[in-house]
Amino acid sequence: MIGAEDVVIVKAVSWKIVKMSWIKEGELNLIEKISANVLKAGPMPKHVAFIMDGNRRFARRNNIERQEGHTQGFNKLAETLRWCKHLSIPEVTVYAFSIENFKRTKDEVDGLMELARLKFERLLEERDNLEKHGVCIRVLGDLNMLPHDLQQLIAKAVITTKSHNKCFLNVCFAYTSRYEITNAVREMAWGVEQGLIKSSDVSEPLLSECLYSNNSPNPDLLIRTSGEVRLSDFLLWQTSHSCLVFQSVLWPDYSFWNLCEAILQYQLSHKSIQKARDLHREHQASLQLEADRVCVAEHLQHHGNGKPADVQRRQEELQHYTTCRQERVQDFLKALKHKRDSYFTDLCSDGVQA
Amino acid sequence: MALMCGMLWRLLLVLVHVNRALVSWLRVRLRSWKGRMWERAVAALLLPVALAGFPDHQRKLNRNTGANANTLPGSGTSTHRSRCLSDGRSLEKLPVHIGLLVAEEEPSYSDIANLVVWCVAVGISYVSVYDNHGIFQKNNSRLLEEIERRQQKFLGGDGSKHNVEFLSNGTDKHHNVVSCRPTVKVLSPEDGKQSIVQAAQQLCRSVESKERSSKDISVTMLDILLRESKNIPDPELVVKFGSVNSTLGFLPWHIRLTEFISLPSHRNLSYEDLLGALQRYSACQQRLGQ
Repeated sequence: MIGAEDVVIVKAVSWKIVKMSWIKEGELNLIEKISANVLKAGPMPKHVAFIMDGNRRFARRNNIERQEGHTQGFNKLAETLRWCKHLSIPEVTVYAFSIENFKRTKDEVDGLMELARLKFERLLEERDNLEKHGVCIRVLGDLNMLPHDLQQLIAKAVITTKSHNKCFLNVCFAYTSRYEITNAVREMAWGVEQGLIKSSDVSEPLLSECLYSNNSPNPDLLIRTSGEVRLSDFLLWQTSHSCLVFQSVLWPDYSFWNLCEAILQYQLSHKSIQKARDLHREHQASLQLEADRVCVAEHLQHHGNGKPADVQRRQEELQHYTTCRQERVQDFLKALKHKRDSYFTDLCSDGVQA
Repeated sequence: MALMCGMLWRLLLVLVHVNRALVSWLRVRLRSWKGRMWERAVAALLLPVALAGFPDHQRKLNRNTGANANTLPGSGTSTHRSRCLSDGRSLEKLPVHIGLLVAEEEPSYSDIANLVVWCVAVGISYVSVYDNHGIFQKNNSRLLEEIERRQQKFLGGDGSKHNVEFLSNGTDKHHNVVSCRPTVKVLSPEDGKQSIVQAAQQLCRSVESKERSSKDISVTMLDILLRESKNIPDPELVVKFGSVNSTLGFLPWHIRLTEFISLPSHRNLSYEDLLGALQRYSACQQRLGQ
């Protein structure tokens, strides 16, 4: 018999699920609006990454269940996305679950997987709202480490929001940076195996294109909460020239003002970081040119007629070689994209058949 | 409206810069004063101090206040070696590898040499020095000279027994990490992403020549390959000097669990400042995902 108590529980649970929306509507208040406008007068990050640390400590501090701490953490994420929208920050990446987190107790891991299931199911329910706001969700990580049903949910979420392009949320799930870099190397090796590229085509920009995050520019700003001052294997490659801000507030306590403080730090370091980025890019370009020259010199040596080639011939060969290399790389990247898209569509169609 | 916001923003930036300059000035003036005066001055500036890029300055300060009881007067040159050793032993943990990341223009060789000598004296066995222009790399002989000079001064002629092993690009292929001599390594951006790309190329070449399959490539394999050419241990601690809040390309693969501590500048840095950073490091907890 369903009693009054049961109704209360059901209401409480469904209220919690309603609370767990990915999107929080609402404008900023007056002071927040003014501050946002002042900040926007300076350079603004276009892509912010968050290490949302401190859920468990928050739970302990407030004497609530650890699982509830994680739930509050998710609500804070939705709120942060709202602030980013008002601050015209179109892309956000978050570290939701590290491969290292699999080491936690089975209860906690199962709880987090269950929370993820609920979140992604909720996301699919909200697809109209997501379309209205143009939110594109991507999930980055070694997804084959996750339970199969969760992989299917994720695939559906990614495919459903794929064409949205107003703002982007990248969720790192079953992710570590070393695994991501290794995977990129493996993909390039696959390209070599398939005869799509040569090993001499391997370069820094190509490796970047093979990362899970290849559809996004590098983060301009990385924020870690809860006072820890390390990167914990998150976006190590992509944040080499990003502004790093470590804040002591716990993630569920994060406020609009904490975000503004971080953005201000970004603005203060902006010029120096820009200079360093440009220097690195120039150096990288000259390395590539040198590598191309070496390849052309080898080629001329093997296929020449014994006479040293003149400057003009070398220049032409270099041009030709560079163009061919770029074409090879484009074809390889297309094949890689197709492979990755197929992974998601196959999972989806599995789901349909099941 | 946009114009007013622009002006307000510029005003905000000016305020932050003024605040930073004030705090730096106070730091130098009040260093020899009693700890409490300094605490009160900083407390008055606390919120702006946070904005000025001194995270957890108060925490660091509290620890320094404890250390101040034994403060030796003057700059680091009169700090006794045995005192450094005992300071090192009194810390709960010391990094095996400390990275000194200079994110400032025009580095000062003498100050860096001081830092290196103190790190070694405290008991750290691997000290690396990095700047994103590769200046230290290009002038590594000058740096080595400075370090040797400081060591002589510091150890008072007793230097020959405790000489550090100085490594720059290309000289550490056969470096044995287990050697008892402390190691000083000069790093540049080449040791970062470029090294990873070179390892990737090597793996792809072996795939090209059918020595292995792409499926064989694992994190462990890549890690081992990276360490084959340059055996750089993962730094447990990186002390970053300068107001630029970025790693500027420092060893991306190696810094996955590295603690980052920021100090405003490496110029005229005192031994106490370095010790403060080491104390902060020894107090941090690593949960390693759990």
